[in-house]
Amino acid sequence: MGKLDGKVACITGSTRSIGRAMADAFLAEGAKVVVNGRDAAKGQECVAEMGGGDNVVFFAGDAAKQADVEGLIDFTIEHFGQLDICCLNSGGVLNTAPVFQMTDEEWNLEIDWNLNHVFWGMRRSLQHMIPRGTGRIMVTSSVEGKLGKPGIPGYAATKHAVNGLVKAAAHEVGTLGITVNALLPGLIETDIVRATGPDSAIAMGLENYDALIEMFASESAIKRPNYVEEVAAVAVLLASEAGRNMTGCMFPIDGGTMPY
Amino acid sequence: MGILEGKVACVTGGSRGIGLGIAKAFLDEGAKVVINGRDRAKAERSLAEIGAGDNAHIITGSVMEREVCEAIVDGTVEHFGRIDIVVANAGGAANHAPVAQLTDEAMGDALTWNFWHTFWTMRRAFHYMIPQGSGRFMSVSSLEGKVGKPGIATYVSSKHAINGLTKSAAQEVGTMGITVNALCPGAIETDVMMADGPSAAEAMGITYEGLLDMFAQESAIKRLMTVEDVAAVAVLLASDAGAGITGSLLSIDGGTAPY
Repeated sequence: MGKLDGKVACITGSTRSIGRAMADAFLAEGAKVVVNGRDAAKGQECVAEMGGGDNVVFFAGDAAKQADVEGLIDFTIEHFGQLDICCLNSGGVLNTAPVFQMTDEEWNLEIDWNLNHVFWGMRRSLQHMIPRGTGRIMVTSSVEGKLGKPGIPGYAATKHAVNGLVKAAAHEVGTLGITVNALLPGLIETDIVRATGPDSAIAMGLENYDALIEMFASESAIKRPNYVEEVAAVAVLLASEAGRNMTGCMFPIDGGTMPY
Repeated sequence: MGILEGKVACVTGGSRGIGLGIAKAFLDEGAKVVINGRDRAKAERSLAEIGAGDNAHIITGSVMEREVCEAIVDGTVEHFGRIDIVVANAGGAANHAPVAQLTDEAMGDALTWNFWHTFWTMRRAFHYMIPQGSGRFMSVSSLEGKVGKPGIATYVSSKHAINGLTKSAAQEVGTMGITVNALCPGAIETDVMMADGPSAAEAMGITYEGLLDMFAQESAIKRLMTVEDVAAVAVLLASDAGAGITGSLLSIDGGTAPY
């Protein structure tokens, strides 16, 4: 008997890393899950690895594109008949730079990927959840949703923005059986961090990727990065019946990094 | 197979309200639990009600005394052989008044009940946790550890102090396998709330019902919280999956706290 038996979830950016850990954890607790990513081959590989049979399907789409985000929500409802848990997890940077060197292209990508994606997904989910009177929306934010580091201005700005969106939306739907929360992980060595971290480190004025990891780790109390499983455990709690009264929460999973 | 199998916990003020809810959740997940309260008969009734059996043990005494706080931690180790999880849960405040009329005794009692009790319990817990290189300490703070309301400065001040202690201690033991967190629930109609709420309401110039309604209306969910809401977060923090969460002031308040 899982904590999420009978529930249906979709998770943006979930063929690997944090999103994948959430998908694995939800599946293990009895939920049906739609995983998402841009690459169909990776998606099918992910579904095969998860071993959930008919309880896991893949929907290809780019979280930075409105039609794809809304398509994921619609597909989930069509395929499994409902949507109970919507995790807007995808996000990141591609070619970050200090403000004075930031390109419009990168800025717009980060706004679409980190902020608009969350708004598009949240709006579409709520249109389904409000009439049903039940639902859980979770946004993978970041410690950078409260702090700000040089060299990642778009990431810090968009993560701050989603925290504001979460607070406002939580109050809008608080009496309708729907919770809206943000997860704020510290640095996790995900595939995307490994891929874009070396360039981000240079933009941040650091020597190399290792210096980036060390900087984040040293700011925490535990002096290590966080792990995807730690985020997934919080996601399960918030998705479960036990999480029904937690909303508008900026849930820290950061080893004691953030000052508030 | 519970996620706290093999773990030993103690909970101050665990014979009712939030503390009992946490103790029950820990027991359900396979932990052995020591609860504390001033009244043994009441604690025994509570444990019987939740069907605790041999996995629970009672240590009586008032957390207003340092010796009692230390004895709860020491007694847990003596009875169950180890200590993994310590919850400084007891707390409250009485004789509420606006600051202009507040007595030294009221402020002193609140600081002892909430802050000193947490400090005494934490220091003793670290005495065991640091050498063993593992542990989970959590305090039951409050929404009022982050915000302030008129008329309850005793409670607000002492809960803010707990949150500061939590942040400092978390940094001190962060690399030692020990996490330190504060749970910040919104209002719950526990026995303590029913006992002290009317006096708090009077100091605020409102009725007890008005007080409860004020807390509910400030939240997004427009209702009060439950002990089970707090207990579920306590289980997560106590479990292996909680290893990466420390120094946090976790809001369990239906969307009330602004940060």
